[in-house]
Amino acid sequence: MPYGSPSHDALSMEAIEVRELRKTYGGTHAVDGVTFTVRTGETFGLVGHNGAGKTTTVECLIGLRRPDGGTVRVLGEDPARRRRALAQRVGAQLQESSLPERIKVAEALRMFGSFYKRAVDWRQVMERWGLKPLARKAFGDLSGGQKQRLMLALALVGDPEVVVLDELTTGLDPIARRETWRLVKDLKTAGTTVVLVSHYFDETEALCDRVAVLARGRVRAMGSPSEIIAGTGTASLEEAYFALEGADR
Amino acid sequence: MKAFTSLTATELRLLLRDPASMFFMMAFPLMLLVLKRGESGAVPGYIAMIAAIGGMGALPGVVASYRERKVLKRLAATPISPVLLLAGQLVAQVVAALAGAVVLVVASIVVFDVEAPRNVLLLAAAFLLCSVMVCSLGFVIAAVVRNTRGASLIGMLVMFPMIFLAGAAVPRKALPDSLRQIGDFLPLTPGVQALSDGWSGTAAVFPMMILAGIIVAGTAVAAALFRWE
Repeated sequence: MPYGSPSHDALSMEAIEVRELRKTYGGTHAVDGVTFTVRTGETFGLVGHNGAGKTTTVECLIGLRRPDGGTVRVLGEDPARRRRALAQRVGAQLQESSLPERIKVAEALRMFGSFYKRAVDWRQVMERWGLKPLARKAFGDLSGGQKQRLMLALALVGDPEVVVLDELTTGLDPIARRETWRLVKDLKTAGTTVVLVSHYFDETEALCDRVAVLARGRVRAMGSPSEIIAGTGTASLEEAYFALEGADR
Repeated sequence: MKAFTSLTATELRLLLRDPASMFFMMAFPLMLLVLKRGESGAVPGYIAMIAAIGGMGALPGVVASYRERKVLKRLAATPISPVLLLAGQLVAQVVAALAGAVVLVVASIVVFDVEAPRNVLLLAAAFLLCSVMVCSLGFVIAAVVRNTRGASLIGMLVMFPMIFLAGAAVPRKALPDSLRQIGDFLPLTPGVQALSDGWSGTAAVFPMMILAGIIVAGTAVAAALFRWE
């Protein structure tokens, strides 16, 4: 890439810039004027209850949905126009997405690896995320935690600069959850920008540098978890959320 | 291209792992051949049947499950288009049907002394058209019927009467007049015709044109109606 080309923005501080994002489904404002930025290398949380607009926001980030209003820039590009080019640089783990029941772990990693120009060797990814013992196991035979680990590995096989993780630990037992947290921390150490979507406040608190608290399609608070907690005079992010929601009503 | 090859190879492996598809596309036609004591005229019809079992019996359920289980959506979050997965499924069904057809043809020639096809190229062209045609109908079913169970069921309900009435599983000569007339309007009938003529070395130009027309129309309808989620 020549110096000064659009992707030079990737080197700037902001990996993601969302301004006044709006998305309406049949009269309901799923997202109603959301603004936030994610800095390069940080782990950013989108937290809130079901229906708060988290998933819609994320789907606009990766170009699966076209916003009705506002602007979205990911690594300096518009995801709605440049979905496929951006997908080379943005990995995603989608809520409740899955793979064919009979596909084997190694097959899935090899297949997804073939989609990317600068893919990491899929065998390395398999090894690093502890999937090697499961290489010949079919997706349908994996436990919930193993499936999530595979979906996470598939999000990383293209060596992305930004990773979007939507409800990564929903439905996992506590051990698998903690194990997944460790993997997300590893991403941060490696310098990857992470957008973590969750309705678990403890998870967001433990993993994220900064958080946007969403409720009914709007950002209620933004900052580091400790800032938000201090700002509301509460003891945890969850309490802070309810304090914010209560004050709003 | 690398992505498409990889997707198609994976789809083919998944299909080979499906016991129902393997039984109905490989073993079942052979069983029918044995029951018929290798009657030579039956083989082209069985080839059409193999293709229909894959394209209409199996494909709609597979595609609907990819949509329902958000496999298509997951692929939409990668640099490739989810259309490639559907194309990979099509190629896998055609290749699986070809494998079933080759096994059947070889068995009929070696075991039952059926006269070998006069024009292999013509037969291959008829096979390709017939096989892609049934898959295009399968995509229409997957586009119209939303859930996996429904798509599988409708696929079976369309496929089973068709293989009997179009002369694929039993010769149309054996059918009563009224049922034979229904066959005149079924898309698989020109498929059976093209395969039979191809086997005996004559080009069934009109049936092959009809098959091509159904492919174009079916693909257009499926593309217009298909919901990605």
